[in-house]
Amino acid sequence: MKTLLTSILILLFANVVPVHAQSDQYKQAMTDALNKMKTQSEKTPVPDMLAMANQFERIAGVETKEWLPRYYAGLMYVYLGFMGKDETEKDKFLDQADTNLKAALAMAPDNDELAVLKAYIAQSRMVVDPTNRWQQYGPLFQAGLEKAKSLNPNNPRPYVLEGTSLMYTPVQFGGGADAACPVLKQAAEKFATFKPASDLHPMWGKEQIEPMLTKCPK
Amino acid sequence: MKPFLRLPFCLIPVLVGISLSASAQTVVSGRVTDQRGRALPGANVFLRGTYDGATTDTTGAFRFATTRQDTATLLVTYVGYESFVRPIKLQPESTPITIKLTELANELNTVVITAGAFEASDEKKMTMLKPMDIVTTAGAAADITAAMNLLPGAQRVGEQEGVFVRGGSNLETKVVIDGMIVQNPFFSSLPDVQSRGRFQPFMFKGTSFSTGGYSAQYGQALSSVLLLNTVDRNINNGLGISLNLANTGLSYDHSTVNSSISATGYYGNLKPLFALVRQNIDWTREPEFAGSSLTYRLKPSKTGMLKFYGMYSDSWLGMNFRDPGSATTGNETGLINLRQHNRNFFTTSTYTDSWAEGRWLLNTGFSYSYDTDATTYDTQDFGRSSERAQVRAVITRLLGGNSSILFGAEAHTLTLKNAVDGIAYQLRDNYGAAFVESQFYVSRNLAFQPGIRAEYSSVIGQFNLAPRLSLAYKTGVFSQVSLAYGQFYQTPDYRYLYRNTALNFERADHLILNYQIIRNKRTFRAEAFYKNYAALVREFTGAPYDVNPYRFPWGRTDNSGHGYAQGFDLFWRDQKTVKGLDYWVTYSYVDTKRLFQQYAVLATPTFVSNHNVSLITKRFFEKISTNISLTYTFTSGRPYYNPNRPADSEREFLSDRTPAVNNVSFSASHILRTKGNLIVLYASVDNLLNSRNIFTYRYAADQNGNPNRVRYAVGPQTYRSFFVGGLIMLSKKAKVDVNQL
Repeated sequence: MKTLLTSILILLFANVVPVHAQSDQYKQAMTDALNKMKTQSEKTPVPDMLAMANQFERIAGVETKEWLPRYYAGLMYVYLGFMGKDETEKDKFLDQADTNLKAALAMAPDNDELAVLKAYIAQSRMVVDPTNRWQQYGPLFQAGLEKAKSLNPNNPRPYVLEGTSLMYTPVQFGGGADAACPVLKQAAEKFATFKPASDLHPMWGKEQIEPMLTKCPK
Repeated sequence: MKPFLRLPFCLIPVLVGISLSASAQTVVSGRVTDQRGRALPGANVFLRGTYDGATTDTTGAFRFATTRQDTATLLVTYVGYESFVRPIKLQPESTPITIKLTELANELNTVVITAGAFEASDEKKMTMLKPMDIVTTAGAAADITAAMNLLPGAQRVGEQEGVFVRGGSNLETKVVIDGMIVQNPFFSSLPDVQSRGRFQPFMFKGTSFSTGGYSAQYGQALSSVLLLNTVDRNINNGLGISLNLANTGLSYDHSTVNSSISATGYYGNLKPLFALVRQNIDWTREPEFAGSSLTYRLKPSKTGMLKFYGMYSDSWLGMNFRDPGSATTGNETGLINLRQHNRNFFTTSTYTDSWAEGRWLLNTGFSYSYDTDATTYDTQDFGRSSERAQVRAVITRLLGGNSSILFGAEAHTLTLKNAVDGIAYQLRDNYGAAFVESQFYVSRNLAFQPGIRAEYSSVIGQFNLAPRLSLAYKTGVFSQVSLAYGQFYQTPDYRYLYRNTALNFERADHLILNYQIIRNKRTFRAEAFYKNYAALVREFTGAPYDVNPYRFPWGRTDNSGHGYAQGFDLFWRDQKTVKGLDYWVTYSYVDTKRLFQQYAVLATPTFVSNHNVSLITKRFFEKISTNISLTYTFTSGRPYYNPNRPADSEREFLSDRTPAVNNVSFSASHILRTKGNLIVLYASVDNLLNSRNIFTYRYAADQNGNPNRVRYAVGPQTYRSFFVGGLIMLSKKAKVDVNQL
């Protein structure tokens, strides 16, 4: 009996463990993709950015238990949402960002990075047509940030988004350097101690805020 | 041992051969295009269940290697297009594959039914107007109906409230909030004074103004419905204070994840404003008003939404009004004193939900309103009250390919009371309606919307059946034509029903043809219409034509009236040519005649102006964070009654015209932030040029008592007027958009 139980357990683990354990193939594919992603910038042409998003989506298609490929694919589409040639194209890209976010949330419903992504998508939606969209997406942006902060107070990225948004909001509307700097400094402090869960986990944001921090009083 | 040793060596070439063929990669290549063969760069082409794939280049070509053998499933995905799946055979010398993707339905490639509808919506991209436009337009005074009066199809009537559409009177337009008819959308009507709407523009996320041919979901309006949809969430959190020349108000908003609550309270007194702006009205008591409202929204589940809105207000005023028909010795000018205390209570609650991933939608609502006017008219009791309770439910089933079908029903009970010359009139109407409507897409370029509505009104004991049909055809990437036809019924004005419940529904038939093109933030729209009026109520008073807007119809009535209206309107909006400048122009033309009310012959009604033009401009100056808007309106002369002409001559009756009405209005708003509080300051000037506009003329007796000898003008409440005010949001998180101003 004991051997039977052991062998059942072994069988169970044999089946369960490899499914949950990240395969080397997955790690390698993600590392390759992330290395390529690091070479992208706001000057990257749209087709290259799409190729990047496609690469993550291909990984996501195989790794149905991993939220990270979906997260990065969504993030690529957020960037594309800022880059699209007109409102219609920007919205199309952001629809795809939402699709990836939804798939990721199904795997990890209470994840701080996904809450950040949700806020990022809302911000990108708002930027498409600020005049008419701030009412709808402003609160969604805030809600995403609040959720991310409450899920993980040490995550610097909600502060990155908040600070950046404030920096580019005119003073009359509650933005400007005076409002943005304390938030950006908070982000910088959190970056000093923040350790991503693995090499594959999100790490972006530090370089993004550095040029803005130079405008802040020391 | 030797053979043993040799064996592996013998196997080596074989093993190598196997491993070579196992890692021998098959190359998959081809091209991805749309249905017309145009390259789609950036498409994701890959084998299902593998990492193997590639992105198409600028020519739509792709090429990748795979270690997979034999067969695989090729998957192609591309944003905005339907996914493509095909099993393929993997052979070393496989031929290039050509893949044609089909575009998903979207707002650009799918036709929308637009005939007769003018939408201001956040949710739809292809609308000509956004909700924010209502508050940022000079001359609209942040009043929803005033903004609608600047749209094509609307006619401006300066001395009456409401929306007059394409030859229709203000009684032919119904205001509907979240599907529920609003019994008293305006502050109580006063003779020759335009009352404001009771609702704040910020309550609504979307407004749809119909110029005719509207959906079978709505009824009881011969000309138009103004559909208002309330917002789903609070915009700001915290305390807000508003202060201006007319009133002061407080608001408080609080939201949680699944619910939000907003409360407002206000008190207003027009005494200070009237002291600064000269009035053309002889006020005996400057209007004073106080009110409050409460909004509660709850999301009990992921898909459900419950909304409750309730408001109560009180208002008082007194004025002297001139009615030559009431002239007596001692009161030669016919001056009548009117005093009024209005109390209004309105509540509406709706619940919406969806099932099966949004394929089934439910909209339900309940609304109750009570409105009472304690009015004395020349010391006589002229009080009135109205009470309406209604329920409504609509079920929508979404079908494939954008098509849908909906079923719905509504029931109302309406009680009306009116005191006239010491007689108390009362009536009660139980009204019910059921409707079915389908939206049917033959293709993305052609859509039909057939509908039918059945109604019953207990007070007249009559049924009606009203068919509606709209269709739309896409003529180009950015343009389309629409056609709408429908029959519309309305229970006659209750003032007739007090004395005659044998009347039948009044009817109008609409035919509308619409063309529109929206491209690159520029919109052009043209619409032509023909309206037939039938079974209009006629009065046989046996007395001369009575011009008193507060008159009560005493005569015999029947449904023998009829009429027509025809014309066209044009709309052009450009947000592109000059950076930062947004302007639009509308022109509406109507030709209409009717035989109705006291008319003895067919004539153009007194509320009709043949030509209406409006030019609206706005610009935001970022450096000074100030929004400036300038509006010009032109309304051609309207017919007025001249008692010196025979009222039974079609050539003479209402043949005189008032001069045209011109108005230039200006508004500016500025925003600033101090100590974390947001402050918005605004100022506006109406009738900048101080034009002595005339809305109508009346006739009075001369000094010797000879009747109808002296003509006098009825104009606006004020000529040039100004208004200033401010708003403070006591919340660090308060955010305001530049265009909210």
